[in-house]
Amino acid sequence: MIFTPTVLSPAEDALRHEVRRWLDAALPADFRPGLGLGGRHDPEFSRALAAQGWVGMSIPREYGGAGASTVERFVVVEELLAAGAPIAAHWIAERQTAPTLMRFGTEEQRRWFLPRIAAGECFFSLGMSEPDAGSDLASVRTTATRTEDGWRVDGTKVWTTNAHLNHFFVVLCRTSAADDRHAGLSQLIVDLSSPGVTVSPIPLIDGELHVNEVVLDGVHVPDERVLGEVGQGWAQVTAELAHERSGPDRYLSVLGLLRAFLADHGKDLDDSDAAAFGRIAARLWSIRQLSLSVARALEQGEAPATEAALVKDVGTIFEQEVVETMREVAALEIDPEGETQFERLLAECVLNAPSWTLRGGTTEVLRGIAAKALTRAAR
Amino acid sequence: MSAPAIESGELRDAVAAVLRDRVTPEVLEAAERDGWAAGVWEPLADGGFAAVSVTEAAGGSGGSVAQACAVLEAVGAAAVPVPAAETGLLAGRLLASADLELPDGALSTTSSPGLALGSGGLAGAVARVPWARAVSALALLADGPDGPVVVLVDPGAARITPGRNLAGEPRDHVDLDGVRPLVTAPAPPDAGVELRRRGALSRAALVAGACRAVMDLTVRYTGERVQFGRPVSAFPAVATHLVRIAEQAETVAMAARSAAANAGEEGEPAPLDVAAAAVVASEAAGAVAAAAHQATGAMGMTREFALGALTRRLWSWRDEWGGGRVWAADLGRSLAAGGADAFWPTLSRGLVIP
Repeated sequence: MIFTPTVLSPAEDALRHEVRRWLDAALPADFRPGLGLGGRHDPEFSRALAAQGWVGMSIPREYGGAGASTVERFVVVEELLAAGAPIAAHWIAERQTAPTLMRFGTEEQRRWFLPRIAAGECFFSLGMSEPDAGSDLASVRTTATRTEDGWRVDGTKVWTTNAHLNHFFVVLCRTSAADDRHAGLSQLIVDLSSPGVTVSPIPLIDGELHVNEVVLDGVHVPDERVLGEVGQGWAQVTAELAHERSGPDRYLSVLGLLRAFLADHGKDLDDSDAAAFGRIAARLWSIRQLSLSVARALEQGEAPATEAALVKDVGTIFEQEVVETMREVAALEIDPEGETQFERLLAECVLNAPSWTLRGGTTEVLRGIAAKALTRAAR
Repeated sequence: MSAPAIESGELRDAVAAVLRDRVTPEVLEAAERDGWAAGVWEPLADGGFAAVSVTEAAGGSGGSVAQACAVLEAVGAAAVPVPAAETGLLAGRLLASADLELPDGALSTTSSPGLALGSGGLAGAVARVPWARAVSALALLADGPDGPVVVLVDPGAARITPGRNLAGEPRDHVDLDGVRPLVTAPAPPDAGVELRRRGALSRAALVAGACRAVMDLTVRYTGERVQFGRPVSAFPAVATHLVRIAEQAETVAMAARSAAANAGEEGEPAPLDVAAAAVVASEAAGAVAAAAHQATGAMGMTREFALGALTRRLWSWRDEWGGGRVWAADLGRSLAAGGADAFWPTLSRGLVIP
C-alpha cells in the first residue's frame, strides 16, 4: 500500500480560500448544513456553482469543464462538504457519471452530456442496486433485450437517490445470458422521463423521501445511449466504484455537527470533553491526509483501489464514532426539533449514520477487498 | 553522511538494512538483561543516523525532523533497544537550541519539571530517563537563576536507580541533587514545549514503524498457519483483524510523516500536527497490538515469537511524552478556543511546507 503525505500547492490552497469565500456569501447565515453528500437537492445552487466552474471540474475544457486536476476537484469538494452545501443535484453526475463518460463514453455522448453536466443542467442518479442485488452487484436481473433500433429494458432498481428529481440514470443490466455472471452485463443511459419508467419513493427510517424504487417496464433505450461496450458493464462498474470510494464524502458527513458542537459547547469543555473532541480532530486530520494522498495518486495516473477501500472504511467508521462521541459528550435527550442546530443535526446524524458504512460498498465488502490485497502481497 | 541529500524513504530503508542482521532475538534478550544493545548502537552512530536533524555546525549529521523520524520508523520496526530518538532529535536539538555542540556518544533526555540549577549545583530528580545508566551524557532543562538553562550532565555523577518499561528498555530514576553540570547555557523560552513536542513526535514515528512491522509479521503468520484445512487469514473474521491493523498502521504512519514533514527543512514540528500524531499513535498502538495478538493466537504470546518485542514497545511508547489523553485534551482545548468557525480552516491547513 502506498500513502504518501501530500502538500497542497499555493494555487490549490488559493482555490480553497476562493471557494470558502464564495460559499460564505452564497449560503445564508442561518443555513442548516447537510450531512456531507446528504446535502439538499438544489438545482439553483448547482447552477450557481457551475457558473464558478466548480461543477464537473475534471471534465476537459473542450467538453465544457474546467480541465482541473483531481486534487483541485478534491479541494473544492472538501469545501462544499465541509459547509454542508446543497450539492445533491449535481453530485452523482459530477463525481461518477462524468469520469465514466470520459473513460468509456462515445464522442457523441461526451459532446452531448459533459457540457450539460458541467453547466449544472443535467443531473444523474445511479442505477446499480436491485431488490436481489446489493453488495452482490453481479446478480442484477434487469434485462435489456435487442430491438430494431436499440434496447428494451425491463426490471427494478432500488435505492435510486433523487430519481424523482434527476434527468438520467445509468442502468447496469443484463444484455445476454452468460454462464459467467460477470459477463453479459452492460450499462445503459436511461432517461428518467421515458415512457415505462415509474419512480416511487422508498421512505427511509428518518421519514425522508429521497430514495426511490424505479420500475422499468419495456423502456426503450436507443443504441447511442449504450455506455461503453455491450458486455463490458462489470469492468466499467468496477472502475467507476474506485472513483466513488475514498473522497472527502467519507469523512466530512459530520463536519457540520462538529462545528455546531463547538458553537454550543466549545466554551465550557471539561478535560474529558476536550480530550474526546481532540481525539476526533486528530483522527479527522489524519484520515484527511490519507484521502488527499489517494487523490494525488489518482492525479498521477495510479489506480489505488485498495487504498481507496481502506480510506472509505476508516472514514465511515470514524464518522459513526463521532456521532456516538458527540452524543455521549452532550448528554442530552435527543430532540429532532431541538432548540439548537447541534441538537437537530445530532438527531439527523443518529438516524442516518448506519447508512454511511453501507453506501458505496459496505464495511464488510471493503474489508474483503483490502484483505485480499494484503494477503496477496504477502504471498 | 549528509542527510539532506537523502529522501526520507531511502533513509528509512538504509537504516532498516543496517539493523536487519544485527537485531537478533539473542541481541534483544541480552539488551533486556544488560540494559544496552552492544553491536547495534555503534553502526547506527557511526553512520550518523542517531544525529540526524542536528545541524552539522552543531556536531550533528544535518537533515530535517522528517528525516530523523524516518530513521525512527526503521528503529521502531526493528524494535531496537537504543536511544536513537534521544541522542539527536531530542537531546541534540535541545543542546543546539542553546548553541551547545553535540558531544560524542549516546545521549538521553526527557521532561525534567522541577529541576533547578543554583549555586550549589542541580537540585531535584528526573523520572524515567531512557538509558540514563548507559549514555555518555544527559541533556536536561533546568530552572536557572536567570531563566531556563540547558545543562549537560555526566550520569556517572548522578545517583541512578534502574527502572524499565514494559519492553525492558531502561527508564531510570536520576537523582541530581548537588550534581554540577559539565556545561550550562541559557535556553530559549520555548525549549521545553518544543522538546516535549519532539518527544511526542519521536514516539509517533517509533509507533508507526513498529505497527508496520506488526502488520508484516501478522499477515505472514496468518498466511502460513493452517487450521481447518486452510490458512487462517482465509477466514473473514481473521482477515478483519489484518485489515484493522493495516488501517491503523497506515493512519499512524500518515500522521507521523505529515507532522514531521510539516516541520520543514530546519523548523520544529507544529503544535496541532504533533498533538494529532500523538493521539493517533496512542490509539493505533493499542488497537494494532490487540488485533495482532488475537490474530496470532497463543504463538503471539510467547517470548520466542517476534511479536512480543514489538507489542511490548507499542504498549510502552504510547504513554511516553504525554500519551494520547494529554495530547487529545490539549488539541481539543485549543480547537475549542479557536471557535466553531475556525475549526475546519485550522484542521484543513494540512501540509503547507513545500
